[in-house]
Amino acid sequence: MSLITLIPLFPLIGFLINGIGFNIVPKNLAGIISTAAALASFCCAVVLFMNFSGEVQIAKVFDWITVGKLNISMSFQIDQLSLLMLLIITGVGSLIHIYSMGYMSHDAGYGKFFSFLNLFLFFMLLLVMGSNYVVMFIGWEGVGLCSYLLIGFWNKNTNYGTAARKAFIMNRIGDLGFLLGIFMIISHFGSVEYLDVFEDLGHGTVAGDKTIMWITLLLFIGAMGKSAQIPLYTWLPDAMAGPTPVSALIHAATMVTAGIYMVIRSNALYSLAPETLHIVGWVGLATALLAASIGIFQNDIKKVLAYSTVSQLGYMFMGLGVMAYSSSFFHVMTHAFFKALLFLGAGSVIHAMSDEQDIRKMGGLRKALPITFWTFLIATIAISGIPPFAGFFSKDEILAHVYEHSPLMWGLALAGSVMTSFYMFRLLFLTFFGEFRGTKEQEHHLHESPLSMTLPLMILAVLSAVGGFFNVPHLLGGDSKLANFMAPLFAHSHAVAHAADESLEKTLMIISVIAAILSAGIAYYLFIGKKSVPVADSKVAGLQKVIYNKYYIDELYDTIFVKPISALSKFFYSVIDFLVIDLAIEGIGKLVKGLSSEARLMQDGRTGVYLFVMVLSIAVIIVWTLKDFILVGFK
Amino acid sequence: MNSIIALSLFGIANLFLGFLNNRKILMPATLAFILFALGLNLADWNTEVLWFNNMLRTNNLSVNFTTVILVATLLVVAISRGFGDDEEHSHPAEYYAIMLFSVVGAIMMVTFENLLMLFIGLEILSVSMYVLTGSDKRNLRSNEAALKYFLMGAFATGILLFGVALVYGATGSFSIYGIGNFVTENRMGQSEITPMLYVGILLIIIGLLFKVSAAPFHFWTPDVYEGAPTIFTAFMSTVVKTAGFAALYRLLSVSFVGEYGKWVYLLYFLCAATLIIANITAVYQQSFKRMMAFSSISHAGYLLMTVTSNQATTQSSILFYSLAYSIATVTAFAVMILVSENKTSNGKPDESFDAFKGLAKNNPLLAFALAVSMLSLAGIPLTAGFWGKFFIFSDAFKRGLILDLIVAVLMSAVGVYYYFKPIIASYMKEGNIQEITIKPIYKLTLIITTILTILLGLMPDLVKSIF
Amino acid sequence: MQQIPDVIRQIPLNYYVFFSAALFCIGVTGVLTRRNAIIIFMSVELMLNAVNLLLAAFSSYKADPAGQIFVFFIMAVAAAEVAVGLAIIVMIYRNIQTIDTGILNKLKW
Repeated sequence: MSLITLIPLFPLIGFLINGIGFNIVPKNLAGIISTAAALASFCCAVVLFMNFSGEVQIAKVFDWITVGKLNISMSFQIDQLSLLMLLIITGVGSLIHIYSMGYMSHDAGYGKFFSFLNLFLFFMLLLVMGSNYVVMFIGWEGVGLCSYLLIGFWNKNTNYGTAARKAFIMNRIGDLGFLLGIFMIISHFGSVEYLDVFEDLGHGTVAGDKTIMWITLLLFIGAMGKSAQIPLYTWLPDAMAGPTPVSALIHAATMVTAGIYMVIRSNALYSLAPETLHIVGWVGLATALLAASIGIFQNDIKKVLAYSTVSQLGYMFMGLGVMAYSSSFFHVMTHAFFKALLFLGAGSVIHAMSDEQDIRKMGGLRKALPITFWTFLIATIAISGIPPFAGFFSKDEILAHVYEHSPLMWGLALAGSVMTSFYMFRLLFLTFFGEFRGTKEQEHHLHESPLSMTLPLMILAVLSAVGGFFNVPHLLGGDSKLANFMAPLFAHSHAVAHAADESLEKTLMIISVIAAILSAGIAYYLFIGKKSVPVADSKVAGLQKVIYNKYYIDELYDTIFVKPISALSKFFYSVIDFLVIDLAIEGIGKLVKGLSSEARLMQDGRTGVYLFVMVLSIAVIIVWTLKDFILVGFK
Repeated sequence: MNSIIALSLFGIANLFLGFLNNRKILMPATLAFILFALGLNLADWNTEVLWFNNMLRTNNLSVNFTTVILVATLLVVAISRGFGDDEEHSHPAEYYAIMLFSVVGAIMMVTFENLLMLFIGLEILSVSMYVLTGSDKRNLRSNEAALKYFLMGAFATGILLFGVALVYGATGSFSIYGIGNFVTENRMGQSEITPMLYVGILLIIIGLLFKVSAAPFHFWTPDVYEGAPTIFTAFMSTVVKTAGFAALYRLLSVSFVGEYGKWVYLLYFLCAATLIIANITAVYQQSFKRMMAFSSISHAGYLLMTVTSNQATTQSSILFYSLAYSIATVTAFAVMILVSENKTSNGKPDESFDAFKGLAKNNPLLAFALAVSMLSLAGIPLTAGFWGKFFIFSDAFKRGLILDLIVAVLMSAVGVYYYFKPIIASYMKEGNIQEITIKPIYKLTLIITTILTILLGLMPDLVKSIF
Repeated sequence: MQQIPDVIRQIPLNYYVFFSAALFCIGVTGVLTRRNAIIIFMSVELMLNAVNLLLAAFSSYKADPAGQIFVFFIMAVAAAEVAVGLAIIVMIYRNIQTIDTGILNKLKW
């Protein structure tokens, strides 16, 4: 058993132990087992990374399905992309496991929670390690399932159950596209292995090929669902119903980036489909703007972060749209650090506030929660794109590539970036500065979280602070380590965007930093200077009300899709199902039963009868076979 | 081939072991004997040898069939804990010995090269089975089953022999290849006495169809399966059926293939008839054991569909199906033995579906094993039975057997109805079954068969590629 | 001294075939019409004897000893079958004091 197969095996074992033995395994042990499994995978991933020679390694576990010429095997591929994803997933995953041991310690479903977390880790690892689209799809579906289970973790609350269902159904719509894409790949290339498919592309497939366009479009629909892009993004804010560590791990750091991973993995395909890339870019941009604008007016601490996640994912897709694959991936990485940190920090706040999530009732928490405050501050600066923290490097890289592609896009993206900075600082100021606005009881309870929760915060804060230095551009005296490391991945792509020239890049960089700092300043002026606090829900009016209610997109979907379908379904149920199907099925059932009660009477029980039927049948058979000879005899 | 000799000696050895007062060593000893024979059998892999003046032939096909037979026997012996526990079964050594002897007959039926060996193998197997069927001496049902089986079996042997005599008269040979050559030439119009040959071929086929219980020669099956002690029902429905189909397949594909047109439509017709009669009749049954008998007949129907085929994949399809069917059947009977002995009605073991009510509550392992075996028999995906059916159906589809296929698919749907009855009873009905104590080896067997069924359902290539 | 096969060959082969077919059918008729287990069994033996006769005749006409050897095997196996069969019949007689197959129909439906 090689090291490669061990990586997904550990979480699977952890899941089996905690899942099967959830009544037997003692509470403390359950968390330790799961965390140990995650850490063990992380160690394996680190060892693999250290020993990585630059060549693609394939580890075949077993042949899974062989149909005709198509052979689908359960095998893993280790290359630059999967290694980096592995490090992010197992690293951030381990930290969140540790955090959860503190966060979930009072919860009744402790063991269940950890078994789900491990199962999620297992499927996520399958997703990124698989060497073909089918294994990726297994992981893809698996993480969707885990996401569903974890969003609805507190399923006593029906709203949470509905949110889980919404996430699942939205994802299913995307999955359908993904699945169709895989089918098209199978019919077009005759293989689902990445290496085979990309190899095949090298043989004279020209850019703009219609089949490739459809494949990439269908795959992108899958990505839309999983990575919450317009129009399938509405599930992600609702997914905040789950426990906060889950939001951090699944709905910020790892699962939602699966779509980006998939596009980068298929970069050879996407590079040949300029039309699709165009769509990807604009969908990303639109999502980034829409989500950022909604985020400005949200008052639920996790909802703000959720819209921020959607918006950041939009940035990543925008980067993919202009073929800045490694820049997008860089942003995936830094985003994993600071967004996980933000969510965990929010979790810490919620923990201290006894499950209060409304920022209008917070304020002045920096004294009571110093570690949380400082780490949250670092993350906020990082996400706003202010140097020298991680977000600055990754976001600027994307913006530079976007400018080269289209200055208009760049301008819009910059607007989004300004909004990001604004709503993040708004969140920070409202939560940690000013006067405490909650009840006396809550104030009495305020406490810093235990070490198991603050330790991951601190580690992630360090990563958010220095994460950008993995890929310092030439402009700032770096050597673009990450981009160079990932370069072999894009060997199959015919053209990858190159950065704009350095002086231009410098100008762009300065503009965006100034914009971010300015909007942070506005937030300071509004929420510290004027001490304004968002008004209660009922007093919101005008355009703000529209945005506060998320542009009524949920209601729109409800009217356009849900209601007609449920009416149709009612019709089918009451008319077609009841009158046609039921009657037909029951009729057949009754017929068979009736026949049966008659047929069994043949089995009369008397040997003589049995023998007689036998002899009679033999006679008939012989006469029938010899009928030609017998007829000849009579002629 | 060596396994035949070894098993005969082991059978005798087993009889002597019966003199010892220690009955506990009998089952382990028998298991060891069978494992040894299995080893000898596998040692013949990739050799093609004719034995005893062209009487028997060992090749990969025969080794595979023998393996399936021995595995089935192994499983049946492993769940045969009833012997020696009570006065009724006071001679366990003899039962084990007879089982070993009957396996010898079964192996001869898969290795025969000469009709003489087919006849002898068939008789060794059948005569042993008559005895085992009637082994519950004071139970009138067992008696009746034995008598029915014996009278009808002897009659069927007579039919088979008359066929052999006629074929001999027409072809002048008992060797299956000698007959095959003659039949092929006969079709070229070089012979005159064709009616005799046709009747002979038909009678031989009918004799074998009786053994594999195809309609309309299946009447003995439900009664005999119901009356026989359950452990031997399990043995009968797996070993006898596999051996019967192996013999039928060899005869059809080697000897009679030249006169294809004269019998193949008959078999198509009987296949459909078997499927319809078995599945329809099974729906109404109240006794689990009797339902399993009809299930066995219906599986004979599915196998009949592919036994007439002579494609590259046919052998492996038959083998895979037999293996999947045998494993699932043994599991089902194993669970049934435990449940029915635990729950008696009027002093007799309760063999109806009602006996399974509420099984899942206190005996999750038993209920799960039962459910998996039923799903496999019904051919639900992710179980071995699904692939068994899939291979057979795709084989039939390639040959354009559309009518049979339609019947088979419809009847599979009917099958789901009665296979789900025990599952529903054990999982969804209220009942009061206490926890049943199971011996470790019994438990192990159940776990192994269940895992095998699922494993083969997930990765059919694991075995299919060997066959 | 004439060889035995030559004696057999004095009668045309067709006669043997029809005779043993007739004998076989008599056996089958016996099986079908009788209810006493022993008589049914005797009728089965009659069928086997028809087979033996046929095999012997073919064997002589083809001057091939295989057929006659087959006959010996049939006789030996039939003897074994008789032993088991009679044991079963005796066992039933002990339990219900009759061997009428007509009333042994408890297993049905």
